[in-house]
Amino acid sequence: MSEAFDARTYLENYDGPDFRIMEVCGTHTHEIFRQGIRRILSPKIKLISGPGCPVCVTPVSFIDEAVYLALEKGCTITTFGDLVRVPGTKMSLAGARAKGASIKVVYSPSDAVKYAGAHKDEQVVFLSVGFETTTPSDVIAVKTAMREGLTNFSLLTANKTMPGAYEAMGKSCDAFLYPGHVHCITGTQICKDMCEKGISGVIAGFTGDELLTALAIAAKKHAEGKPFFVNCYPRVVTDEGSPAAVAIVDKFMQPCDAEWRGIGTIPMSGMELRDEYAAYDARKKFEIPDLKGEYKTACRCGDVLQGKILPKECPLFGKACNPDHPVGACMVSSEGACSAFFMYGGDL
Amino acid sequence: MCVGLSAKVISVKDGVAIVDASGAKREVSAELLDDLEPGEYVMVHAGAAIAKITDDDKNETDKLKEEYLK
Repeated sequence: MSEAFDARTYLENYDGPDFRIMEVCGTHTHEIFRQGIRRILSPKIKLISGPGCPVCVTPVSFIDEAVYLALEKGCTITTFGDLVRVPGTKMSLAGARAKGASIKVVYSPSDAVKYAGAHKDEQVVFLSVGFETTTPSDVIAVKTAMREGLTNFSLLTANKTMPGAYEAMGKSCDAFLYPGHVHCITGTQICKDMCEKGISGVIAGFTGDELLTALAIAAKKHAEGKPFFVNCYPRVVTDEGSPAAVAIVDKFMQPCDAEWRGIGTIPMSGMELRDEYAAYDARKKFEIPDLKGEYKTACRCGDVLQGKILPKECPLFGKACNPDHPVGACMVSSEGACSAFFMYGGDL
Repeated sequence: MCVGLSAKVISVKDGVAIVDASGAKREVSAELLDDLEPGEYVMVHAGAAIAKITDDDKNETDKLKEEYLK
């Protein structure tokens, strides 16, 4: 019997107290589906897909700001591809592109800086969304633009940090499957602090064996009845994380309140550029007015993100909302829970 | 946008690394990692190497199971 089979056997035969574990990371959601893990879990273990896709929690007002920059200010918008079809109040960035806006999909923030360097007659704005994992790359882009003397590059920020979300969502589940790559930046202290507050979880990697092992350890710990934390991804996540990443983000950015789509405003859960870097802050540079995004549809992404319902319980799922015609951000993003349920089976 | 890619470091110079991710070579920022050497494996995210990979998943999970699932 292989070691992996032991973890699987434990999960299949788990007969402890009911266990609700929330996978925070969208990549975890997809990998768990793709590996078929949902199908082998004991009925006493419920997986809940949480708020860990940056695209899914980006508010409508952010899309409206990007559309404003593209259409009213004539900026070239550079962005990860997932954001292009996320609906805004009046239109998505794809809609803005249809009206003549310049929307460029890039692989990374540094590619956006390269574009700005090669197109100095354009004002290039990078849509800076993401969690602790992505934010270092965003500020490295600003640092590069400064070093190269580029005055035509800026960030529209919607960066977020996870601890506030863990606390806001802590009552939605019995434990978190913490996102491995967030914690390779932050280290493990945040999770230890959560454990002190009674919020349990395990940091998990992304292979099938890593996910099975992390889930089995979490279930076993849950059955023991005490708050717990275990780093189940030690080959990448160290206790100290990445001091260099934390330091460079702290140099360029400071915490701010942030709106999470479907959840609301979580105090000090966002990151914005410090005042001394205002020339690289698109919100200040282009004096964007205060845009109030409007959510108009019956889409229940907010309830999905909080683990209150499964995607299939949304009245739009698989009907008005599907990957070809997404209504909500959770269906737009390839890492979204609705996208995963649609792709791998909405019956689970 | 959040997917991390594991990649092998081919070369490092001036804070920039050339990495090989399943045969695809890419230039990524090495600014966040000290003493990165060719031959090491890293996790790449949004154009930056964010962490060294210090073991394979089999060894990692074997140790975890030994400690927590016996």
